[in-house]
Amino acid sequence: MGNLELIVEKHSERIHHGLEVLPTLRHGLPAGLGNKRWTAELILATYEMALTGEIPKNGLEYKIGDSGGGFDVLGWKNNGFAKVEPNKIDLSIPLNKREDGKKIEIPVPIYGGGMSFGSISLNFMLARARAAKKIGTYMSTGEGGYPDDIVPYRDHVITQVATGMFGVREETIQYAPIVEFKYAQGAKPGLGGHLLADKVTMAVARMRESSMFTSLYSPFPFHSVYSVEDHKKHVGWIKTVNPQALVSVKVSTPTDVDMVAIGSYYAGANIIHIDGGYGGTGAAPEIAKKNIAMPVEYAIPKVHDYLVSEGVRDDIVLIASGGIRTADDIAKAIALGADGCVVATAEAVAVGCTHCGNCERGRGCQVGITTTDPELSQFIEPEWGETRIVNLYNAWSKRLRSILAGFGLESIRDLRGRKDLLVRHK
Amino acid sequence: MDSQPVMPSKYERFKIETKPAPHVYQIPNKFDVSAKKVRLAAMLLHEAFEFKLNKEVVLSRPCIYGVFGGRFGGFKPLKQKCVGCMRCVQEYPHIMTVKHSDSYKRLGDSFWTPEAVFTIWNEASTGKIPVKGMGYKGGFGGEGFDGIWTDMSEIVRPTRDGVYGREYISTSVDVGRKPTSVDFGKIDKTPSTVEIPVPIIFDKVPVGNGAARSAVGKAAEKLGTFYISRQRTTFDFGPANLIPIVDEESIQDLVQSPAAIVEYEADKSDIFEKLASALPRSIIIARVPLREESAMAACKLARQGVHGLHLYADYHGQDYSKDSKHVSAALKEVHQELVKEGLRDQVTVIASGGIALAEHVPKAIICGADLVGIDTTVLVALQAEFKGETRDRANCQMKPREIDPEWGAQRLVNLFGVWHDQLIEILSAMGMRDVRRLRGDIGRSMMDAELREQSFKGIAWAT
Repeated sequence: MGNLELIVEKHSERIHHGLEVLPTLRHGLPAGLGNKRWTAELILATYEMALTGEIPKNGLEYKIGDSGGGFDVLGWKNNGFAKVEPNKIDLSIPLNKREDGKKIEIPVPIYGGGMSFGSISLNFMLARARAAKKIGTYMSTGEGGYPDDIVPYRDHVITQVATGMFGVREETIQYAPIVEFKYAQGAKPGLGGHLLADKVTMAVARMRESSMFTSLYSPFPFHSVYSVEDHKKHVGWIKTVNPQALVSVKVSTPTDVDMVAIGSYYAGANIIHIDGGYGGTGAAPEIAKKNIAMPVEYAIPKVHDYLVSEGVRDDIVLIASGGIRTADDIAKAIALGADGCVVATAEAVAVGCTHCGNCERGRGCQVGITTTDPELSQFIEPEWGETRIVNLYNAWSKRLRSILAGFGLESIRDLRGRKDLLVRHK
Repeated sequence: MDSQPVMPSKYERFKIETKPAPHVYQIPNKFDVSAKKVRLAAMLLHEAFEFKLNKEVVLSRPCIYGVFGGRFGGFKPLKQKCVGCMRCVQEYPHIMTVKHSDSYKRLGDSFWTPEAVFTIWNEASTGKIPVKGMGYKGGFGGEGFDGIWTDMSEIVRPTRDGVYGREYISTSVDVGRKPTSVDFGKIDKTPSTVEIPVPIIFDKVPVGNGAARSAVGKAAEKLGTFYISRQRTTFDFGPANLIPIVDEESIQDLVQSPAAIVEYEADKSDIFEKLASALPRSIIIARVPLREESAMAACKLARQGVHGLHLYADYHGQDYSKDSKHVSAALKEVHQELVKEGLRDQVTVIASGGIALAEHVPKAIICGADLVGIDTTVLVALQAEFKGETRDRANCQMKPREIDPEWGAQRLVNLFGVWHDQLIEILSAMGMRDVRRLRGDIGRSMMDAELREQSFKGIAWAT
């Protein structure tokens, strides 16, 4: 074994060991870890769940952050003892509620959000794809193309079509059980994607059919879509190439997000996916993340109520993302009106992300998540990453079942729109 | 027929040329990295044994930013290189500690957070927009500008691809009175408006030395914007970019050398008629503190004929009402009253006080301003020292440092460049081609308090 391999092995082993030790709090709560949204406790609780598949038992806060609003000021009504046997509770949701098209269900109300090849390492992408397969859910490619290595998992991979059209090919649309149009993303609502030059390695450039080490900008918006009719043509295009594919429309959260949702429904979408303004994993201008578009907590009821009033709520799936960190966030999003959620940052935290935000700096992520650096990428072995993500989903499932059991609900579908089960804290 | 040579027309798209202007005074390290030295030594021994004295492997360090790249490695970490990624803590939790440094936590005051100070420093130093990964990390909504989100366009409304320059977005605004109809009796009596390329001017420097004021003047000249000053130093008086604050005694000084725009303190003396008569070609702006009766006072001044209103709050963005409110709320009241009275389009409204970050510019404009003035932000960009609270306009606890005016001017040009780019991002996302359209367009914003009540309606309060 050469020195490089030894160095990678050494650091890999120590990082993985650290992820096991830190949640025990044997060395205290790391002072510099976390922020208001992802507090140190929430990060360590996620490490613990990713390790054990269980809810933390040492008192680590695993339900909320410290943002002072949104999900963090919502709680549950006192629901007392379990009224349903938790193991009998059904967490599955359908992803196609229309009469036509393939019927797809996922066993948990969660799937993995788009993080593109180039913005994240191939190993992390593989870990996510493997986990999606094991769980029976999906993960999205993001807009960076469809690496050959994830083709074996294609039954669990959503192909994303975004404005840059990077790596969008006929076969990648034909692989996909679900095709996701990314009209906008919570990380930078209303702005195009941006992959900095340092990350555009030969593999990334080949995938995106671009030049190496040249910054890549995706335009905003789709210059072929300026109306619902144009959007309908997009949906028609996908259905022509792959008639079996379900179509998801990912949008951010403008003032008229409800109108966008109904327009997407009439254009033939199966899933309307709203990505709130505080979310996202991609590197983005700080001004965009904080200030543009509304948080998903406010957008969900707006869209849900409007779809109900239009009489189409049971014909379309409403998926929420953008700041979904915990099982409680997922349950709250569903109680506010979503059918299910998309997560991405939490999966990154499961494999060691500290939410430090230095993804675009220098060589990229120090623990191998958001990087194309060949050495750093090796810190995430796909099998190890898969196990941790699966464990996280398992722990979340237990927490979801515990919430539902307390309210006597036998299915996660019964929680949808049950705002009456929530309480607000000042 | 002889063909006429085609002369290339002179055209330059507005662009602010930024270039690095590194910090002159050392800034505090954001993070404090330390190692338990005995444990570190023990770990090195252990690894030496584990890796059979393979120096390269033993000394490979758990940091990709070079914190342990100094001669003494972890025994004397290069703290200034730490970005808080926490990898060293992940790898060696029993040895390493990373925390925000005390000097970082002490930065600023009750309004200026350490993060905000760092943001301004970095913007002024690099001229680059702050970019980070992995989502937003701050608090949810909040009061004042934090409780406002700007809208974006999606599918059914066109956006503008202004960020990368593919579509032009204008950030120019006009300063001056715009009569709603032509009055031939007064046609020569109203000065024409002045167009400035960014909706930001420099308010008077809260506490400044000559170098700071000189930097402001030079930056204003380079940017094509204006700066307000009461001082009449050799440098300040005369240049086209100065907006002097005048009083009854100084009117005559200006007659000889009139400025394009002047301000007077309308709450202290009613000298508009005198000014209009003495300086017929100058745009006259009434400087008014925001307080309880500001909306009525603004309407009165507009009816009187002033060309613009400069509404100011204190340096923390709070108005001077008994129960003080944020400048965003106070501005909305004034704007809406002017609209109601049919006066809004006649006068220019400048807002200042608490405009500390790039996002405050579009948000103040949404609340009703045409343009904003910046104040303490200037001193932060010039690396002034915080000596206490900066709130009080009469007693702002900041101490300017000795600087080279050229360096200072570049820092301010950088700041404007970055804020301009961020304004373009906001306008792009909204699909607006002109910042003038943003004024008072509350419909293209979202308020935390309103959304909370709408979306959380039906959710009981916890008991």
